[in-house]
Amino acid sequence: MPSDRGLIRARHWLRLSEWADMLPVLAGRAAWRLGPPLVGIALFLALWQVAHWHYGAFILPSPWQTAAATLTALSGLAGWAALGATLARVLVALGLSAVIGGGIGLLAGYVTLIRATLAPVATILLGMPATAWVILTMIWFGPSHGAILFTIAIVTGPILYIGTVDAVRSRDRHLEDMAASFGATALARFHRVALRQILAALGPVIGIALALGFKVAIMAELVTNVAGLGAEMARARAQMDIDMALANVALAVTGLLLIEHLLIRPLQTRTGHWQGPDA
Amino acid sequence: MSGLTLATISHAFAGRRVLDTVSLVIRPGELVALVGPSGSGKSTLAAIAGGILKPDRGRIMRRYARHGMVFQQSRLMPWVDARDNIAFPLRLAGMSADRIAARVQAAAEAVALRRDDLSKRPDALSGGMRARVAIARALAVEPDFLIFDEPFAALDPALRRRMQDLVLSLSGARGFGGLFITHDLSEAARLAHRIAVLDRQGKGITGSLAPPGQPGTRSESAVFDFVETARAEPLLHDLVNVDERALPLESTCDMSGFRRCC
Ligand SMILES: Nc1ncnc2c1ncn2[C@@H]1O[C@H](COP(=O)(O)OP(=O)(O)O)[C@@H](O)[C@H]1O
Ligand SMILES: [Mg+2]
Repeated sequence: MPSDRGLIRARHWLRLSEWADMLPVLAGRAAWRLGPPLVGIALFLALWQVAHWHYGAFILPSPWQTAAATLTALSGLAGWAALGATLARVLVALGLSAVIGGGIGLLAGYVTLIRATLAPVATILLGMPATAWVILTMIWFGPSHGAILFTIAIVTGPILYIGTVDAVRSRDRHLEDMAASFGATALARFHRVALRQILAALGPVIGIALALGFKVAIMAELVTNVAGLGAEMARARAQMDIDMALANVALAVTGLLLIEHLLIRPLQTRTGHWQGPDA
Repeated sequence: MSGLTLATISHAFAGRRVLDTVSLVIRPGELVALVGPSGSGKSTLAAIAGGILKPDRGRIMRRYARHGMVFQQSRLMPWVDARDNIAFPLRLAGMSADRIAARVQAAAEAVALRRDDLSKRPDALSGGMRARVAIARALAVEPDFLIFDEPFAALDPALRRRMQDLVLSLSGARGFGGLFITHDLSEAARLAHRIAVLDRQGKGITGSLAPPGQPGTRSESAVFDFVETARAEPLLHDLVNVDERALPLESTCDMSGFRRCC
């Protein structure tokens, strides 16, 4: 028995020593993964700081000042309200354009005639600069909540349309044939085999549309001066308050990161997992 | 007992005739191999037999309850694991979860899939394992007729032989008839009661050959000798002397979808 216990202890120790051997390797890997981005961020902040020294606080506040201003903006209700208003607007508008753009895209993906008819329309709408829409909707609707929603929806709608058409067209039809061989009806083939692939292919497109929608929202708010991050920026500009302007920029970037990590990434890993991490 | 009759089947894709009055009778319990060069319309005929494609002309008479189909490239759904792939046709049929679990278990055992293989997704499985999953999926519906469309074409020769042995033992144990499409003559000679030859341009079945004895009891040398003599047959001239210039651009392989093979 004692020899047994000794053996177990020896084995235990061996495992510990293996761990000890592994530790530098793991640490090295972590350093490789996290190191370069950290260096990148540090470099960016350093350049910013240098520019701040060169141009002065009136033109470019330091990263610290900006962080402090951001915290101030977020410590009051107003900052959160602005961020929330912008985010909510983007989500509502995107939902709208997903239903319309995605819905028509689904039809067009399956029906060649619709696709061919809509192709030039989609090209024109995609080619329209977002700023043009901001100006047009200002004239049509005046500075209102609806104008901003419309602007975001009309900018992201064609992207979701094209993305959906592509997703429908690039699906693996052999899988639907497989399902048909087991007696699947057309409806079952669509919702059990095709839809899944279409949604997975749409993941990255939705990500792009979200990010673009957010940027367009800020721009439209800036021009129309309707509550939101953009309006806050307009206010900062009017008051020539560079700290506040930069704080709002920081908030906007934070908003984009939130969207990316809370909404887009989870969506993509859930629907597109099988394509591997690089796809 | 199960059988299938395809009578004067014709089919065209976008105006191009692919099959022209093809007739094939598979007697109950008979496993017929269909050989023909790439692009001769074998897969199209399989799709018609499997009810995937409605032929422009011709009649299909099925004397069996259910068929199972095994495809080129396995055609597994990449987003679910092997277990759910095997369960797919059962879910389509609206079967209860308990019965599905039992059926999947039985099918997986029949093709020697282990429990840990069952929870892997297709991209984590080797080609041979994928072929096993595809066969298990076809077996899960408890078919009395099986349609194979070059299921092992992408496997290396040793693996292919193991899969052929699997088909032989399954058909021996369950006695199903079927249509086995291949362009590998020795595969056909090992597995089938009879080898039907499809015309190079799909203009009918040009004839058929019967290897000696019953599938599963043929010795290696018998299969080898049969293939060697058959290669000299005028009937198999187009199969043996493939003229790649005469082939359509997109032959042999599945060209659409994101899992293209070439
Ligand atoms: N869905 C399709 N649309 C158009 N042409 C097709 C389609 N499927 C097959 N073909 C054409 O039909 C011919 C026969 O194809 P196939 O049945 O796959 O031959 P095989 O399986 O014998 O190689 C080929 O020339 C191929 O290009
Ligand atoms: Mg084929």
